[in-house]
Amino acid sequence: MSNSFVLRADERGYNKILSTGATASYVGGHPDAFITRFSSFNFGEYQDGRPGFGRIRVFGDEGFHHAGCSYSMHPHHNFIICAFVLEGKLTHINTLGGLEDLGPGDYYAFCAGSGGLHEELNRYAEPMRAVYLWLLPDHLLLPPSYTRGHFDAAAGLNRITTLVGSDAGAVPISQDARVSRLLSDEPGVFRYRPRSTGHGVYAFVIDGTLRCDGTLLKRRDSKGVWGAEEIVCETGRGDTDVLFVETIM
Amino acid sequence: MTDDALKSWICLGCGFSYDEATGLPQHGLPPGTRWRDVPQDWVCPDCGTPKSRFEMVEIPYAEGQPAAPLAA
Repeated sequence: MSNSFVLRADERGYNKILSTGATASYVGGHPDAFITRFSSFNFGEYQDGRPGFGRIRVFGDEGFHHAGCSYSMHPHHNFIICAFVLEGKLTHINTLGGLEDLGPGDYYAFCAGSGGLHEELNRYAEPMRAVYLWLLPDHLLLPPSYTRGHFDAAAGLNRITTLVGSDAGAVPISQDARVSRLLSDEPGVFRYRPRSTGHGVYAFVIDGTLRCDGTLLKRRDSKGVWGAEEIVCETGRGDTDVLFVETIM
Repeated sequence: MTDDALKSWICLGCGFSYDEATGLPQHGLPPGTRWRDVPQDWVCPDCGTPKSRFEMVEIPYAEGQPAAPLAA
């Protein structure tokens, strides 16, 4: 018997974090820059929602506004932090030696493990939009690591492509979880099969419309399903872009 | 694990992990200090997240962890 929850776009937590005042050391780019964050799960100032899903603890739909907008260099341990760039250019800097420019389709998995610092920066006037995903790891204080990948939109058209996880070609992480993306430009039926009925799937519509497990989801809507052998997803005419995060429950 | 076993708590703001077994001696919490005995106004030393936003986790350590603390 499967279970589910639906989270509409406007039901998510929303925070606008300024680069001035109380958050000036958190967000860089004084004085104009600010970060907008829609949180699917409790995070920071937003604590009125769901605490997480499976091993997911953070799912943030974020915008970095104005040149210099950044999360200033700060420390992490343990969490597996993934970023999927949707628009604009993200400069990611980490103390493992990474200094990277990522554009739409690019993504990374940063396993903070026994410790590392990172900075997330938009150097440009155009907004940078990205999804940030945090997963609990399967071991504490792992050796930190950083791996980047790229979603080839042309190759990924009308199929579900695994971006993060143990599948060949995906960025590996130390957790029983995987992230996939579906880009569709025509009506289609896609059957997502979790590894087991003990795995749940969080489907987030980046753009377009998706009928997911019977529910019509629109742009930035999402649905979590668990206990199911198969999750039937239908796309219509027009462009649809969906992120699926599968996690052991 | 029994209810009496020493547990770990992870900061939901940054991932910093507090282990009851090792405590945080440099912050005045000797090894063995139970989470319930950590002051209520204590915050994450790495990011300032309040104690209430930590989650108890039963996740095994990576090999070789926790490492022996460096000599002062």
